[in-house]
Amino acid sequence: MNRTLVIGCALLAPIVALAAVSLAWTPYGPADTTGGRLTPPGAAHLLGTDRLGRDLLTLVMIGARTALTTGVLAVAISALIGVAGGLAAGFAGRLADDVLAAALDILIAFPALILALLVVAAVRPSLFATVLAIGLAMSAVLARLTRALVKGVLAQDYITASRASGTSWPRIVTGHVLPNIWPALSVNLALQLGLAVLAEASLAYLGLGAPQPDISWGRLLREAQATVFTSPISLIAPGLLLAMLVAGANLAAQGLRLAADPALRVTR
Amino acid sequence: MLAYLARRTLLLAASLLVASAVLFVLLRLLPGDAATTLLSLDADAGQVAAVRRELGVDRPIPGQFAIWLDHLARLDFGRSFVSRAPVGEEIAARLDVTIPLTLMAFALAVVIAIPAGVRTAARGRSWVLAALTQLGLAVPVFWVGMLLMNVFALRLRWLPAGGFPPDGWADPMAALACLALPVLTVALVMSAVLVRYVHSATLDVLDSGYLRTARALGASFPAAMWRHGLRNAAAPVVPILGIELATTFVGAVVVEDVFALPGLGGLLVRAFERHDYPVIQGVLALSTFAVLAAGFLADLLQRLLDPRLRRSIAGSP
Amino acid sequence: MKQQGTALTGLCLTRLTVVFSALALIAGLASCAARTAEPRGEIPLNVGSLYEPQNLDNVGGGGQGATEALAGNVYEGLFKITDSGAVEKSLAESYLTAPDGLTYTFHLRPGVRFHSGDPLTAADVKYSLERILAASSKSSRKSSLGVIKTIAAPDDTTVVVTLSSKSISFVYNLGFVWIVNDKDTDPATQEDGTGPYRLAEWRRGATLTLTRSDRYWGAPAKSARVVFHYFTDAAAMNNALLTGAVDVVTSEQSPDALAQFNQDHSFTISEGRSTTKLLLAFNDRVPPFNDARIRRAVSSAIDDHKLLNAIWNGHGMVIGSMVPPTDPWYEDLTGVNPYDVALAKRLLTEAGKPSGFTFTLDTPTYDPHPTIAAFVVSELAKVGITAKINSISADEWYSKVFQKHDFTATLQEHVNDRDIRWYADPNFYWGYDNKKVSDWVIRSESAGSAEEQIELLRKVARQIAEDAASDWLYLNPQIVVSASKVTGYPVNGLNAQFFVYDIVKR
Repeated sequence: MNRTLVIGCALLAPIVALAAVSLAWTPYGPADTTGGRLTPPGAAHLLGTDRLGRDLLTLVMIGARTALTTGVLAVAISALIGVAGGLAAGFAGRLADDVLAAALDILIAFPALILALLVVAAVRPSLFATVLAIGLAMSAVLARLTRALVKGVLAQDYITASRASGTSWPRIVTGHVLPNIWPALSVNLALQLGLAVLAEASLAYLGLGAPQPDISWGRLLREAQATVFTSPISLIAPGLLLAMLVAGANLAAQGLRLAADPALRVTR
Repeated sequence: MLAYLARRTLLLAASLLVASAVLFVLLRLLPGDAATTLLSLDADAGQVAAVRRELGVDRPIPGQFAIWLDHLARLDFGRSFVSRAPVGEEIAARLDVTIPLTLMAFALAVVIAIPAGVRTAARGRSWVLAALTQLGLAVPVFWVGMLLMNVFALRLRWLPAGGFPPDGWADPMAALACLALPVLTVALVMSAVLVRYVHSATLDVLDSGYLRTARALGASFPAAMWRHGLRNAAAPVVPILGIELATTFVGAVVVEDVFALPGLGGLLVRAFERHDYPVIQGVLALSTFAVLAAGFLADLLQRLLDPRLRRSIAGSP
Repeated sequence: MKQQGTALTGLCLTRLTVVFSALALIAGLASCAARTAEPRGEIPLNVGSLYEPQNLDNVGGGGQGATEALAGNVYEGLFKITDSGAVEKSLAESYLTAPDGLTYTFHLRPGVRFHSGDPLTAADVKYSLERILAASSKSSRKSSLGVIKTIAAPDDTTVVVTLSSKSISFVYNLGFVWIVNDKDTDPATQEDGTGPYRLAEWRRGATLTLTRSDRYWGAPAKSARVVFHYFTDAAAMNNALLTGAVDVVTSEQSPDALAQFNQDHSFTISEGRSTTKLLLAFNDRVPPFNDARIRRAVSSAIDDHKLLNAIWNGHGMVIGSMVPPTDPWYEDLTGVNPYDVALAKRLLTEAGKPSGFTFTLDTPTYDPHPTIAAFVVSELAKVGITAKINSISADEWYSKVFQKHDFTATLQEHVNDRDIRWYADPNFYWGYDNKKVSDWVIRSESAGSAEEQIELLRKVARQIAEDAASDWLYLNPQIVVSASKVTGYPVNGLNAQFFVYDIVKR
């Protein structure tokens, strides 16, 4: 464990704890509307209430769950599609590789926002649509990275040697390629976790995220704008938690890279 | 070099065509159409059918695509289903906001990031800067916008909270005032990303033999850095700038929403809500082109900066 | 060679840095300069709104925004529906109804010119009416004006319209017909009306500017220039009001967020009546809601006052039927299905469902429906009914609920005026089928007098309330907020109209 990794995990831990606790306990129920309309923060409601009289702390806690779920699922989708696509392109012949590379360039040129708009329009706004859109958008970047990494490994002499000695392609993939590219990939996936959480918040902010009763920090932030003078904390709390989560994921990714490649520690 | 240019351009054109064809089909497979946007709940079934016929969305998709391509070949993006104004006109009006916003934010980000990145690389790690960079990478851009707006527009009343002057750039100062907070918002977040790249590129240069040689020959550090370092450091950073310019654009889209600016982002989101296909196609064709072109230019610039790559262009088939 | 290259790059970088710094400097300076910049000409009246026109034509799908900005301001009808709901003569100077009630003769006001300079003629009126009835018409009035049989223009100032059946709302409906010039331009992109304002510029997505017309036939507009500023978000509009970027907002959605600034009374908040009704609409065709007792149980289980307070903080009103108080046939029917949990439980027992039931509530994903759905779920849980929220997009609502009638219950805002008539149509999406009600609605339209019409529609309103054909949750308030120096604006904004010609800013 290095210091960067420790800080990253320290930032992530409270969010994970918040999300975990919300599974078993929240100050009020998410549908409890007895708190009074737009109550300012106080002893009964630490962050105040929303228009319907729901406790904001409760909503923020459940929002942590949404953020983590989105992040993890989107990264899973991205990993599944991206790594498979990248491997295929890496192993493909020159023509197929050119086509795939061009397709990836186009996909990457398509802003994630537009992909999200398309997916949301196709399958109606929901947490699933959000996760799918973000996962797809990120998978293109991951596929390009995987392709480059695979090419790098395949150019090594030992691959040529093991090919010459009759090793089958599947064995080369599992025995040489995947173990070699995994460290770089895992770092990238951790980075993508942060990006996915940010993307989900942005989509929810734009009104393209999961609708109620799902709860997202992005939408809480949008709604906080209406109460910013009575309870600025409702604007600050979800934003800070979001920043902690993303910074935590980023630092953990950096820490992983340092751990995987001790040489970096000497020069940087 | 010419062959390289021709190949890249051809690839760019082919990519755009494929992208727009895919999008065209996808859009038309989505549920719903513009008829529901144009009609109210009191409309009868005959009106719905008439509107669909008028918009041409009742025809088979290949036929619709052929018509669209035919118009595009004459640089005609068609007319909006909803406003009935030419799509080109709709987009041009929005570019008045989005292009200055993107470019100014990008420029400001570069201005912040280069000195900050070079300085931390040269003088060793600064905890404050590292923390700020991490923060910049971790906060959502719309949140920064909301915070800046609440402080500078709503509480201090120094700048407008949003909107754009009705006469656009006729009064440049008023227009710039409206863009000041959005530009700052995007630039702050963007610079955090750039600082990291500048930082590591500078470190690579500092480690290099030629810089040490230059210092040994008596050049001062800033002089050596200026003559040899920056250029070498720039080579790997430039293509990243190309990608980041595209990211800035997306950031601008979200920030436009925070500050109620009439930019491309709002146009696109609204067009999706309303099934206004010609507008969606137009905006996407333009933005995809812009992103691909930015990547292309960055690539070109990088080759100009790095003679080794230039040789490889000449040698490439 | 290498040296040269380095120098060149160095130079480029220097230049770039200079350009970038300059840009940044300009941006910085602008903030100070803008505050002192002189306004050009007279200070305009700035109006904030959430409803940007889709295009400029109310027959071409311009939507609520086109009506708000242009009706009465840029375009006029033969008649005008005032802010209090009365019908006044506008471009029609006088009219005659034949004794059979089927022939109307309109005499046009003389000397009226369009903004383009063309004189108003009977041919323009004929053209404007035909536009609404045409196949390509997107007007919501097409069906109600379908009674028109012939339109004739015997001379330049006379229009004769014959109807296929008597229609007591005919003149009222004409109040929604804009008279446009019959020349060959597209009203969706270019206006040519007769109103006190002409359209100067529309920056789509941002602002729409009106300037006073100097050839207007009536009293000239009070402000020379009016700018509508469009927002997609209520909070952004509030911010504009707070910072003085707009002087008045046409339809405030979040008034309590403003109230806290009003200690010094720098804003005037006025509440009028809208025609927007929020409905929990049952599918009256299918179980369990084909049983009126079940519908009444649901209506009685939901505390409408608490919901209204949560959404509108004391503004707006609870209604017991489909009629807003601005209609002459309004009466207070909130007592028909009062909030009474015990009654709701009793009704459920009577209907054979003492332990409640489960149903799916199709909920549009846009505000305020999701919030209301959450509230309905928690209210119904108290009587053992489980409502499952099914979020659907606006398109899905239209195709699934409105067209295919494939739903059990749904939430929807109904904005149109006098839409009680849909309870007479068993093919409408909610499928309420009552011969008596259909008959009353048809007879009310061909009624000989306003009294007869009012009496019949009162019976309709009461009957549908007794059957709980739908649950009318509340009537939206129409809240106009203005800086206190602004006066003369319409407070009701009925039918989405917002007349700006009498507004003055001191």
